Amino acid sequence: MTHPVRWFVWIAIASVATMLTRNPLYQVILFGIGLLLIDSLRAMQFPEQSGDGIRESGLPFSPLRFALFAVPAGALFNGLTSPFGDTIIARLPTSIPYLGGPITAEAVAYGAINGLILATLFAVFAVLNLAVPVRDLIGYLPRAFYPVAVVSAIAVTFVPSIKRQFVQVREAQAVRGHQMRGLHDWFPLFMPVLVGGLERAMQMAETMTARGFAARDRDEAARAAPITQLMSVLGMALVLAGGVLRLIPGWTIGSPFLLFGGMGLMGSAIWYAGRSVRFTRYHRPQWTRFDTVTVVAAGAALVPLLLWPISRDYNPYPLLSWPQFDVRIGATLLGLMVPVFLLPTRKDDTTRTFSTQRSSDINDQV
Amino acid sequence: MIRFESVAFRYPGAARPALRDVTLTLPEASFTVVYGPSGAGKSTLLRSLNGLVPHFSGGTVSGRIEVAGLDPVRVGPERMCWQVGFVFQDPEAQFVMDRVEDEIAFALENAALPVPEMRERVAEVLDLLGLMELRRRSLASLSGGEKQRVAIAAALALRPGILVLDEPTSQLDPESAEDVLQALTRLNAGAGLTIVLAEHRLERVLSFAHRLIHIPAGGTEVLCGSPRDVLAQTPLVPPVTALGKALGWSPLPVTVAEGQPFARRAAAKLEGARVPVDEHTGGEASGYLQVEALEAGYGTRPVLRGVSLNLVPGEVVVLMGRNGSGKSTLLKALVGLVRPQEGHILLQGHDTRGVPVAELCRQIAYLPQDPNALLFADTVAEELAITLRNHGISTQHAPLAPEELLARLGLSDKADAYPRDLSVGERQRVALAAIMVTRPDVVLLDEPTRGLDYEAKGKLLALIRSWRAQRLAVLLVTHDVELAAAAADRVVMMEDGRIVAEGSAHSILGEDSAHAPRDDSTGAQSFAPQTVQLFPRRGWLTVDEALAHLAVPVNLAAEPPA
Repeated sequence: MTHPVRWFVWIAIASVATMLTRNPLYQVILFGIGLLLIDSLRAMQFPEQSGDGIRESGLPFSPLRFALFAVPAGALFNGLTSPFGDTIIARLPTSIPYLGGPITAEAVAYGAINGLILATLFAVFAVLNLAVPVRDLIGYLPRAFYPVAVVSAIAVTFVPSIKRQFVQVREAQAVRGHQMRGLHDWFPLFMPVLVGGLERAMQMAETMTARGFAARDRDEAARAAPITQLMSVLGMALVLAGGVLRLIPGWTIGSPFLLFGGMGLMGSAIWYAGRSVRFTRYHRPQWTRFDTVTVVAAGAALVPLLLWPISRDYNPYPLLSWPQFDVRIGATLLGLMVPVFLLPTRKDDTTRTFSTQRSSDINDQV
Repeated sequence: MIRFESVAFRYPGAARPALRDVTLTLPEASFTVVYGPSGAGKSTLLRSLNGLVPHFSGGTVSGRIEVAGLDPVRVGPERMCWQVGFVFQDPEAQFVMDRVEDEIAFALENAALPVPEMRERVAEVLDLLGLMELRRRSLASLSGGEKQRVAIAAALALRPGILVLDEPTSQLDPESAEDVLQALTRLNAGAGLTIVLAEHRLERVLSFAHRLIHIPAGGTEVLCGSPRDVLAQTPLVPPVTALGKALGWSPLPVTVAEGQPFARRAAAKLEGARVPVDEHTGGEASGYLQVEALEAGYGTRPVLRGVSLNLVPGEVVVLMGRNGSGKSTLLKALVGLVRPQEGHILLQGHDTRGVPVAELCRQIAYLPQDPNALLFADTVAEELAITLRNHGISTQHAPLAPEELLARLGLSDKADAYPRDLSVGERQRVALAAIMVTRPDVVLLDEPTRGLDYEAKGKLLALIRSWRAQRLAVLLVTHDVELAAAAADRVVMMEDGRIVAEGSAHSILGEDSAHAPRDDSTGAQSFAPQTVQLFPRRGWLTVDEALAHLAVPVNLAAEPPA
């Protein structure tokens, strides 16, 4: 059994790494790691499926397919809308509003990198979808603010159902002679999926309410409310002040303290409010040394990116150039691949039932 | 104990109240069925029992509600969940987790119960509902009946004294529905659980009910009492009661068991009256739509295994079988949504392989299970115009004038209405209009009676009969045996992706059918209509047929159900 917190940490580090660097070579490594992990998780959970099984694995579509769309789309969009860069590869008549002018290789490259970053983030979150069972996602949701808790719970269960609904609507529209010819042809699909999704969300919220989800101890909640509100307001004020300080020359040094202090205060408010919602866990995963290895290796992957920003950063403007590649960064990024080697080989291994739980789990209350 | 005193409720912004002056009392350990037309307020009444109305829905309540000694309006659903378990209509839409055991434990986790107690309660409800073997299974892998039982188990985990169910058998085949209802009966009789259940198909549930609540359209004059007393005062009743009313049986029977002594006496006066059974077994050699040794499925998973079937103009074929037997897949294969792996589908003698879905659907209309998936336009008229546009046909050159079609479907006054604001039955007819406007020759209907009340079902039956009169070929998938008995010229039974029986409605739905599934314990035919159960071996399937042979003018009978 893998501990969900291992995956939360892995995903947090992989996401930070993805957003820290615009170097396409590192992005390709990160994207490749994401794909490899998805494939390993899929093979573990759906062993009977063949190569195209990603469609059957709870993901709305394959990350590779998403990348094949996002990279050219990003390149095209930025190429058409950004006139900056020295290497002009084509020109559109200036009479075309917004799009007219030079199309540069730098703008195209910049847009393609944007698309690649999006695809990598998609792959990273697809790992979350596959690796962490719904029960753990729900179990780790903060119950603090009832509507937020319900909406978050609906969100984590939303992907498989919306996919099913999309197929249903697509088939229903096809039998009316609907064919996909242009952008406007998405409307007949979009509307029923949207309305059906909202109806389903309402039904889910209703069923969760009927089963006591995020039900608060009213007295305790009433006592906690003023303190929670005060902490939240103070937190937001500190974050705002931190943001303003960043803009004032000579004062920027205090900005991170205020920003982090404010965020910490808001997090504490959520924790404090959550105390009025009591719940226990039927399954309680155990932290193993494999979880430690995964977290340490992932953390180590982040260090070089923080230490050597010159290699990390890449900007194709003003003249397109080949990105630098620092072997130390490349090698340590591979640390994010460690979970691939530590995954259980069978689907059953991911599930542990109450029979193996410790007595200390009994009062696991938040 | 459940008590309503002069309760009225109005949703926010609603012109009319959903419930008006409802006064009723339900004793502990009773089994109560709530029925009435769609939109009458059944779900509202059920949701008021655990405080979802008004806490979740908003709106204003007047009067007094008392459930298990608590006022749900005051304490809200988070407190009422300890007293009232709630099972919604669609089990899939209410599952939060992805495994059976986790789903059942969800409410216990929210109640912050210690793990050993959760363990005990999960085992208890798994055992109670016969789900022990499924505890580790993924919810997606379960059949419809199993899912519904898991939903019930999840609602019972907190050991509430009251279980409320909103149309729990509407998506189930007769056998699965019987399983679920038997489970509920055990809970009611064995554990003393109070059950309140909303249902349109009274013939399925009345044999289990102690009390009946009828909510008429508009939520006024709610009747609550013994099933016999309530049915005596309402026009829409199950077949056995319709016969009882027509033939003056007293006391009025509400179940087949109660009707059988009367039926035996009535039938004894007849000398072997029996409808000659038409041994018509399935389409002419060259049908309009022919299926030959069809094998199809999803990915590598085969669903249909060597299915052969003919549809001919002017014939209504009813396709029946248990959940998961391949009925919907066959319909999808006929319109090209599922590709054949082996075999052929011939439309007027031409193989449909490679023909686009859109082109096929000009000749074959297909109504999927959820008609809402078809509707997205701003008005009903626009829905029809869009289908025509999709097929490259102008409204002026439509094979069937949209106004005429809407008139035939009883939707003339709804042409400018927003389709999703209409009732369940009206929405279904709008969806039908949207697929019929190209004047197809074949109509495929997948479970069209889900959520329909008796009146809407009657309208649907009339529509199906009018299509038959217009020489359309109709293939109807349904679990509703009464509708099948009334509509079918031919019945086809499917099991495990194969056709296991095919013949006239009399030969397949009759008591002595050799092909229909039978209850393991009683040996009774699971797909037999109530008339067949009352008059076995007579060959009568519907109330009309029985009354015709019993020499009672049909118009003396209360309006029979579909």
